Amino acid sequence: MSRRSDLLRYLGARLALAPLMLWLIASLVFLLLRVAPGDPIDAILGPKAPAAARAALRAQLGLDQPLPVQYGRFLADLLHGNLGTSQASKEPVLAIVRDSLPASLELGLVALLLAAVLGLAVGFSGIARPEGRIDLAGRLFGIGTYALPPFWAAMVVQLVFAVWLGWLPVGGRLPATVLPPEGTGFFLLDSLLAGNGRQFLGALRHLVLPASTLGLLLSGIFTNALRLNLRRALGSDYVEAARSRGLSETLVVLRHALPNALLPVLTITGITVASLIGGALLIEVTYSWPGIAYRLQEAIAQRDYPLVQGIVVVVAALVVLVTVVVDLLVALLDPRVRF
Amino acid sequence: MRSKSPGASVHRLRLLASLLALASLTTACAPPRPAGTLIVASKARIDSLDPVQASRSGQMQVLSALGDPLYAIRADGTIEPRLASGPPVLSADGLTARIPLRRGVRFHDGTPFDAAAMVFSLQRFMAIGTLGYQFSDRVKAVRASGSHEIALELKAPFSPLPRLLSAIFLTPVSPTAYRQHNDTPLNNRFVGTGPYRLSFFSGQQQRLTPFERYWGPQPANRGLDLVTLGNSTALLGALRSGEVDVLLASGLEIDHQQALHRQAAAGRLREGSGPPLSIGFFSLLTDQPPLSNATLRRALAHSLDRRTISERVSRGLRPPLRQLIPPSLEGSDPGAWPAYDPAAARALFRQAGYCNGRVLRLPLTFRSDIPSDRLLALTWQEQVRRDLADCLALEGSGMESTTAYDQLGKGALSLFFYDWIGDYPDAENFLVPLLGCSKVEGSRCAAGNSALSGSFWTAPGLEQELQRSSRIEGPGRQRLLQAIQRRTAAAVPYLPVWLMAETAWSGRRISAPQFDGSGRLRLDRLQRLPGDAAAVSAPGRAAATLAVSPGGPEARR
Repeated sequence: MSRRSDLLRYLGARLALAPLMLWLIASLVFLLLRVAPGDPIDAILGPKAPAAARAALRAQLGLDQPLPVQYGRFLADLLHGNLGTSQASKEPVLAIVRDSLPASLELGLVALLLAAVLGLAVGFSGIARPEGRIDLAGRLFGIGTYALPPFWAAMVVQLVFAVWLGWLPVGGRLPATVLPPEGTGFFLLDSLLAGNGRQFLGALRHLVLPASTLGLLLSGIFTNALRLNLRRALGSDYVEAARSRGLSETLVVLRHALPNALLPVLTITGITVASLIGGALLIEVTYSWPGIAYRLQEAIAQRDYPLVQGIVVVVAALVVLVTVVVDLLVALLDPRVRF
Repeated sequence: MRSKSPGASVHRLRLLASLLALASLTTACAPPRPAGTLIVASKARIDSLDPVQASRSGQMQVLSALGDPLYAIRADGTIEPRLASGPPVLSADGLTARIPLRRGVRFHDGTPFDAAAMVFSLQRFMAIGTLGYQFSDRVKAVRASGSHEIALELKAPFSPLPRLLSAIFLTPVSPTAYRQHNDTPLNNRFVGTGPYRLSFFSGQQQRLTPFERYWGPQPANRGLDLVTLGNSTALLGALRSGEVDVLLASGLEIDHQQALHRQAAAGRLREGSGPPLSIGFFSLLTDQPPLSNATLRRALAHSLDRRTISERVSRGLRPPLRQLIPPSLEGSDPGAWPAYDPAAARALFRQAGYCNGRVLRLPLTFRSDIPSDRLLALTWQEQVRRDLADCLALEGSGMESTTAYDQLGKGALSLFFYDWIGDYPDAENFLVPLLGCSKVEGSRCAAGNSALSGSFWTAPGLEQELQRSSRIEGPGRQRLLQAIQRRTAAAVPYLPVWLMAETAWSGRRISAPQFDGSGRLRLDRLQRLPGDAAAVSAPGRAAATLAVSPGGPEARR
């Protein structure tokens, strides 16, 4: 009972801090964008538009107002759930986020699943004979995939499997001749729900390369985390105690060492999910994946202030949410955690 | 050692077979393409297809298939009426232009095109168009002077009016469809009069289907899927693997353009280029030392080996340029700027007090996000080190485009390389954006286009000459434009480097890409060829292509 109330208090405190964190992040992005060199007017009109046209556009976008006024408007809109309108396309930022976020989440979740399966399998495979060949290969795999430059790896995979072999498409989310399914924006799910096999296969084919590349690059984190934690767990007193009770090594590993070794992996998964939401930029650019990181990069290049601010706020909110959920899961699963 | 059990082997074989089956299913399930439709790829993401939002070449390209301008520029540079039924009729004072409109034209929503629709579209563009200034700087008012005639009241006589009206951002839209969007853009729809109608829109994909009630000839294909791929390697790979049928060069890296050019020369692809309408040039900051010294600017002009730069950086795809007006346009003067002459450069540097143990160190800024700009800067830097190491040292540094454009107008960049393509093909659209000046202080431009372009240079009477060149036509205009170029060349506020043309490549079974005189790919002429016509004869270039080699502009517009 007392643990449950402690947990609720802990959750309340974490959630209460979230708006403060979001305000800090939003304010920081607002200020940094204004301090950074470059003018949205140049990005929209080019360098040679006449002064009158530039002034008119500046006024139309509200950029002629003093900075505190712009900031006040931004915060007031934010409090009302209005992320503003893109300066470049005049589209509501919320609509742009709604269009591009599912693409990033779909890619990220599939990649994470692949990374977890591959990484944990490799990490676990060497446990029977520590420092043996398989363990050494696992260690090399962990370090190697972690150290691979994402842009280079993505380019190589794209060149080999899409350009040279022609097995899979070079980029995009769907074949050009297939229109996107209606629904949540998760194409695999939407096409399945619609029962459209052509859309599903098209979406799957386009997902294979980016998700595999991203999954491969992330798998090393899981491999190393599991390998190290499992070895530490296998050397601990409670595992020795289990062995002394005559349990088989398989049971010792699966029932006693592995659950404890997986707890830190859960935390790592949380951090990875958080970084994936906005961090798959190079993969998205290489594979022309119309996700939120891709849009963010374009928005920064165009100095599209509302769009950059909106995307950062949404991504920050998701990161906060995922972190809280992972912390709660760890707290629920690990009785040693105190609040 | 343990021997493998037969069961384990069978299990592994099953696993392998399942994996292979999955792989083959995934790879073999490329969806079939509808017969007669084509896929065209480019790097340009399209945020909006409302003409009032159009400012980038990608948007203009799509709009050119969906809409019609009043006039069009043919590949040979001549003007043809499209939605206009004849040339503009000017009043005696040249301040009113009456334009007869074509009858029997319908918008994609079935409503008729008439003078009221044209006036609605032009007024909407003047009110909220991103490039509205291009029109409203010249036109005071628009009105319907008949059911199928409009009258434009000009601010001053303007001889390139038909060329201005060939700009695709002035294409009419259906008043019925856009009435609710009189003061806001309609991004994801387009209801115009062109040969295609828009049947699907997203930033990365647009589907165009032939408009059955189009007033002109029907497209040669049964529809187009226009797709965006985010990087040069993906674009190249997509054409090579046959995933796309046609590829536009804009956004492709020079190496990749060269590779495609070679393949076209070997007959493995078809290639077509538009008229070269984009110029790459240096802007020189003329109102601050050291480049306020005209002798140094002339010395710099003589030090630039354009041929070497063109060969090394663009492998010859971007021909050297010694004027500000593209050679296909009126007013061209191919040798206006000083030619490469290191001896003359050295003499001028000496005259300015350099070379005798004194080296001029000059910061050279290039756009860091455009790979060919970096190569160009490095090549010129090394070429100067080879030729004039005791007189001049160029110190190259990169700056991201948007930041650089901002700094340019503030007079922060001594020597900056970028490019320019006019919104419509006329000399006026190259000279005025670079030389126009609204506040002249002797030979310094305190405000206006010249200041925004980073040179801050003007000359007494130059603004009046520019304005006069927009009023007159014929040989007199040609002479005046050439005189303006020579006058500018003598002062060297800019240093033209090379010329660029939009280029496209198509697969062997697709017809060769053709361009119109505005540099837009004629999407309506692309078609899949029957088997026996698909053989490409080397060098595989389109019959309608011009003499200039490819090399699409990488920057805005």
